[in-house]
Amino acid sequence: MRAVIVGGGKVGYYLFKTLIEKHYDVVLIERERAICNKIAEELDGEVICGDGTEPEVLKDVDIERAEVVAAVTGKDEENLVICQMAKINFNVNNTIARINNPKNRPIFKALGVDKTVCSTEVISNLIEGAIGSEEIKSVQILDRGEIVLLEVEITKKSPWNNKVIKNIIMPEECVIVSIVRNDRVVYPRGHIEIKLGDRVLLVTSLEKKKLLEKIIIGG
Amino acid sequence: MYIVIIGCGRLGSNLAIEYSKEGHDVAIIDNIEENLDRLGSGFNGRRIKGVEIDNYTLIEAGINNADIFLALTPDDNINIMASQIAKNIHGVTTVIARNSDPSREFIYNRLGIECISAVKLVTNEIKNKITEEMEE
Repeated sequence: MRAVIVGGGKVGYYLFKTLIEKHYDVVLIERERAICNKIAEELDGEVICGDGTEPEVLKDVDIERAEVVAAVTGKDEENLVICQMAKINFNVNNTIARINNPKNRPIFKALGVDKTVCSTEVISNLIEGAIGSEEIKSVQILDRGEIVLLEVEITKKSPWNNKVIKNIIMPEECVIVSIVRNDRVVYPRGHIEIKLGDRVLLVTSLEKKKLLEKIIIGG
Repeated sequence: MYIVIIGCGRLGSNLAIEYSKEGHDVAIIDNIEENLDRLGSGFNGRRIKGVEIDNYTLIEAGINNADIFLALTPDDNINIMASQIAKNIHGVTTVIARNSDPSREFIYNRLGIECISAVKLVTNEIKNKITEEMEE
């Protein structure tokens, strides 16, 4: 499988390294000559020095043959344009863009670049999950960080304690997927009552996470 | 008319000053503070220091009510992204971008963004001038 990576920063470097180890036919494009030389010295892969937002450079690496293009530079405008160009001009449909500023995620989506990874957001969520409240834990991040699986422990203070599921009002884009009670899974049907000590597993969009936490913890 | 401009270089600042003098409402964004100094003290419009592709900065500049959006930074990628935000997300009717590298003009065309290539314009102008003088 042929893969093209644009951007030789930390993300690009490790992605390049991983794909070489997996024996992908992979090429990395990086603008700065010094960084190119360093990567070429350390790793046994094809490194091209050039501006990955320039169509000529992309043509030179045979981007048309690529099954996947990963735009992982530190600039969001570059990553957007690379993905759009790969699609429009070179017919590569499998593109993935790194987003540096989480604010730009909806913009990328609205402009048709929907496969994105926001490193900033993913990392901050993981850290937040690790240091967050005892009651709510982020168990898993799904769909490249847009959806989160949460685990909530029901305490005495919890507004959900002794509440029947169908009476719980939740924001849209949030679902109770399961309840773990005494190490057994209880299916979350409408008539089930949530009890003290239950661990409730929820899936929520990242957008509604804060709102949901407020509802669960109360206040 | 309400005009939002990104990029306060020589081109952006000049246009901002002229439109403002003609009585239009102008808001201009640049990420570098010193660039905004080009506008001088007589400029009546709004100057905003901020990231040109940031949707919130653009909203703060009033892109929702803009009749015209001009992307005039020297960076094609910034101009392409900001123009698409203006056109496709905020529905600004007139969007014009400056194209720096002529080899990338087609990207603007493919994405349906009207653009002006300064290099191409000046190149043609010079060639025409020389042709005319040769003919004389």
